[in-house]
Amino acid sequence: MNFEALLVAVLTFGCLFSVLTLSLNLQYARGGMINFGTVAYFAVGAYAYAIVTQEPPSGLDQYLIGLNGPWWLGFLVAGAGAAGFAILTGWPTLRLRGEYLALTTFAFAEVLHSFLLNERGIGNGSVGLANVERPGISWADVPDSYVFAAAALLLMLATIIVYRRILASPYGRAMDAVRDDEMAAEAVGKDVARMRFEVFVISAVPIGFAGALYAMITTLVSPDLFTAEVTFFVWIALVLGGERTMLGAVLGTIVLVTFQEVVRGIPFETVRSAQIAASVEHMLTGAIFVIILRWQIFERISIARSQPA
Amino acid sequence: MNRDFLIVDGVTKRFGGLQALGGGGGLSFTVPRGTFLGLIGPNGAGKSTTFNIISGVLKPNTGAVYLDGQNLSETRTPEIAAHGLGRTFQTPRAFPSLSILENVIVGADSAGERLGAVLSGRWRRDEPKLKEKAVAALERVGLGNRTAESVASLSGGELRMLEVARQLVRDPKILLLDEPTAGVDPSLQGRLSDILVRLHENGTTLIVVEHNLHFLLRIADSIVVLQNGELLAQGSPQAIRSDERVVAAYLGNDHAA
Repeated sequence: MNFEALLVAVLTFGCLFSVLTLSLNLQYARGGMINFGTVAYFAVGAYAYAIVTQEPPSGLDQYLIGLNGPWWLGFLVAGAGAAGFAILTGWPTLRLRGEYLALTTFAFAEVLHSFLLNERGIGNGSVGLANVERPGISWADVPDSYVFAAAALLLMLATIIVYRRILASPYGRAMDAVRDDEMAAEAVGKDVARMRFEVFVISAVPIGFAGALYAMITTLVSPDLFTAEVTFFVWIALVLGGERTMLGAVLGTIVLVTFQEVVRGIPFETVRSAQIAASVEHMLTGAIFVIILRWQIFERISIARSQPA
Repeated sequence: MNRDFLIVDGVTKRFGGLQALGGGGGLSFTVPRGTFLGLIGPNGAGKSTTFNIISGVLKPNTGAVYLDGQNLSETRTPEIAAHGLGRTFQTPRAFPSLSILENVIVGADSAGERLGAVLSGRWRRDEPKLKEKAVAALERVGLGNRTAESVASLSGGELRMLEVARQLVRDPKILLLDEPTAGVDPSLQGRLSDILVRLHENGTTLIVVEHNLHFLLRIADSIVVLQNGELLAQGSPQAIRSDERVVAAYLGNDHAA
């Protein structure tokens, strides 16, 4: 296995999906909202980027819009699009509590997936949009994969900085109060509905950016890439890392991505051995989860880091 | 100006089949600005329901509550609080993930609770002032030396005082306290009555639900008595003390002499 390629892949996708986990951490651990539709905002970002940057349809293309815009415009529209989708889905649903919100957001994501699959005018339906444009940035001999790894890292750091800033402010304090006791928070003038809505929309923006970056890296957007599996992946990462700190969210994601990339990189001689490995993977994954959750390994590391006492 | 500050006008409230408030035509009473009103009545008389309707947690089935001309029954709870109405709860409510000091600071309306101000960092210069105010409020309720502790270390009575401190930093125009002395030891009760008297002197309108009549009749200047969701009597503590209907319904016959 090529160790360098593995490292770059882990860094790229680890940071990229960490953005999703961090947003989920903000929504759930601090905002008290269970969002089971994370993938939808990711997909909106990816599709928005593709639509803005691709060329107008020609030949066999079935999509209707291609703006042929610059990559940075696509990137910005991806963030705005995800925020717009969050406004659209958050407005009617955020009054719901706990598992009801989880079900509704999950349903929204499924509806979007179904829509993208069947409405060919958006992104060629199930075929998807291939050859999504990559930004034409090249620094001397640095390969593209390194540039994307750096971009993912930057996006993750920017997300952390913005979220930190929010959480360390009176806004974060009011969020904690709202999550602890809505009625008491309203009695001191905290607008619970407004705050939940704002947190929901704000945290969708980095997810949209991550979607755009994902589209650049894979150069393909198709409904297959944006199934509920992505949502479950980041939820598992959040659970593994512990929901209480941002470092935990990042550690959980990186470990999960590493595990996936390592398994993906193992070469098999026969189909039979690949089948055995696939079933062993499930058992191994389960065993690792049990170990991590039993001793709350990442949660301990991240809490020890955040409270040097 | 002496016009009525708070008007409860023909309020009724049903919970399922139970007529909790205003069975016979609705509950009505008025509270002039600056009054220290005691709200009393036997269990089930509708005191807490009245309280929750005034503070907007419950909406009345019919009738309305007006604060300074504003119809509170059509106003959302956070906006009612923003209009200067503060309240505590019958069961004290704290924010467990915040420290004692933060539990009080969070009561204030900080500029930093607006996202624009957060991202630009403009809130920072207000923070020391808020902190100072919160520490002062905690000192007033006798928790001045516990600021860094977790709320889990507070007793039930101390939690009530914490709620009072959280309201003090808001400088409410009208403050509603739901059984503030329940579970509070005598020395803290003395402190509490000092705080209430001081607020009253400074012109804050107070409405206090209380079972501890000795506490209330000594410091309130007006009493409303509820029974079965209806207004039984309203008047000065002296008048209430000698009102035979009140004595019979609430204080018990042995007080009649």
